[in-house]
Amino acid sequence: MVSARVIQNLKTEFNRSWLAKLGLALVVLVVLTAVFAPFIATHDPTAQNLEQSELPPIGFSEIEERTTSEMVNGEIRTVTETVAVTADPAHVFGTDGLGRDMFSRVVYGARTSLVVGVLGTLLAASIGVPIGLLAGFHRGRVDDALMRIADVSLAFPSLVLAVALIGLWGRAAVAVPDPFVAVGLAPTMPDSFVLPITVVIVVGLVNWVWFARVARGEALSLRGQEYVKASRALGADTNTIIARHVFPNAITPIIVLGTVQVAAIILLESSLSFLGFSGTTLSWGFDIAQGRDYVSSGQWWIASIPGLAIMVSVIGINLLGDWLRDALDPGIEGEGGAA
Amino acid sequence: MSVGRFVLKRSLQGVGVVWGVVTVVFALRFITPGSPINAVAPLDASQETRQAIATELGLDQPLYVQYAQYILDLLAGDMGRSYIRGQEVVSLVFSRLPATIELAVAASVVAIVLAIPLGVASATHRNDPVDYGATLVSLGGISTPNFWLGIMLILVFAVEFDVFNTSGRGTDIGDVVLAVGGSEPFVGALLSWLAYITLPAIALGTYFMALITRLTRSGMLDELGKGYVQAARAKGLPRTLIRYKHALRNTLIPVITVLGLQLGTLIGGAVITEAVFSWPGLGTLVIESINQRDWPALQGSLIVIGTGFVVVNVLVDTVYASLDPEVVNE
Repeated sequence: MVSARVIQNLKTEFNRSWLAKLGLALVVLVVLTAVFAPFIATHDPTAQNLEQSELPPIGFSEIEERTTSEMVNGEIRTVTETVAVTADPAHVFGTDGLGRDMFSRVVYGARTSLVVGVLGTLLAASIGVPIGLLAGFHRGRVDDALMRIADVSLAFPSLVLAVALIGLWGRAAVAVPDPFVAVGLAPTMPDSFVLPITVVIVVGLVNWVWFARVARGEALSLRGQEYVKASRALGADTNTIIARHVFPNAITPIIVLGTVQVAAIILLESSLSFLGFSGTTLSWGFDIAQGRDYVSSGQWWIASIPGLAIMVSVIGINLLGDWLRDALDPGIEGEGGAA
Repeated sequence: MSVGRFVLKRSLQGVGVVWGVVTVVFALRFITPGSPINAVAPLDASQETRQAIATELGLDQPLYVQYAQYILDLLAGDMGRSYIRGQEVVSLVFSRLPATIELAVAASVVAIVLAIPLGVASATHRNDPVDYGATLVSLGGISTPNFWLGIMLILVFAVEFDVFNTSGRGTDIGDVVLAVGGSEPFVGALLSWLAYITLPAIALGTYFMALITRLTRSGMLDELGKGYVQAARAKGLPRTLIRYKHALRNTLIPVITVLGLQLGTLIGGAVITEAVFSWPGLGTLVIESINQRDWPALQGSLIVIGTGFVVVNVLVDTVYASLDPEVVNE
């Protein structure tokens, strides 16, 4: 429960640790970028411009040697000329192979990552937490059955199961209108956000088991508490006891796990997009997959920059998770969270 | 309960989980839109052809008969035939498995060899530059997507410096071992093996290196604060002995458990690492099977992956029980 003591602990830990400050700053940066993407992006992230393709980021203009052959008076002549590949100040992070602005793609990619990360975590928690609480509270057969289901679920790596399910179900996506563009504030941007709905459902289905394990552990330790016994003696039914007494007291480790899970699901989403199992083409993982084809020909930025964006976001969220864990519940270890 | 009975009980539970794995994999076929016939039959197949295929695949039987037949076939070592390659799935899967195990083991070795000293140093030099450095390295490690790290390694070590190969698998590790006593040049075989495996092993191992560093650090800090460490210090035992023999040993027990549970992450990571480096393992087989709608090959790979996870975890519990007999009574 969020008491004054909890808030005090959070503050003390925050003041003590510069890593917590860094984590919060990074997360705020990513969240603001995602929310206000239409204002931050300098170009439409999906607009192609083949005449401006493969431009390097600012500060990385290069001189390239290009060899061309031409026929002059019946002879083949090879001409080597040096061409300057100059960065265009309009494209801060350069452009990709189709001339799309990398900066705008990175900005919009934050939306996909955060929305999938948060929705996927909420779905996983809303499946896992009730099941875990019920199993831990009742023990016995329900609990045994749950633990076996959890064992089976854990036997499949998240990524493998997610790839298999998306491969079988297809890659559905829904277009959600962008409110800023709808009211005419940012007219040059895409008018909707593509939400890869299958990915959200699948990552939720794949990761619920971590929440079930943590919730079960909490319920097991809370069921013997005096206030639970008292409530039972007063005639409260089980569901009420779980909802009123067990859940609020189990919330702290669930929040800590939830934070780590957002990071894990962002990594999972980027892996799925990288492998082509997503419903959107505006994602950091997708851009890394595109950029991979340019690595051997020298356009290093197309694959590098989206990966740095993933790193910054995930580092921020992990630091936030460490801060919450240290402040709220020094007893638990960060074991959960399969990427 | 004796350790033997504990291991027996865990093994029986393991068999139950494998049965669950098989059932889930069998059920996958029925939550799929579209009949499996479509994957095999030509687009213009006549009704008779489709009927013949259904009979051949056993799809005209009631569900429980299909399920029983599936389990019986598995017990007999038959996973069916790949739709696309026409090969037996069992031989297909087991031809790919060694490459994945090799990659996973190499990554674990990279991870453990770097992480344990780093974690110990971090704990024993708490709040020193060493500790900050190790903390940053491990934070970066758990936050980096391994497929991206793989591409960055290719960019630096293969494109810029051209020291490693980026695609495929070199000399078989078996041949490298055989070369020790044989007439083959050992160094050449070893270098060829290293040229291929180094980058994928680092890409896959980095996350685990970071994870183990964090676990070792926090475990060591816990142990070093305990009474027995102070007692050993008071007795005048050398510091290295206390750290490495007493404290580290107790730290490793929870580290091993977490690693067992994270094996799924390791295999999941191997799938994508294999995709980056065109490593011919189970992971590339999974992705190819899905893209080609080759269900038998996919089902076979999933069963082998799931069973492998269960087997390793039963082994981990066995090791655990022999290191710390108290576990048995929990």
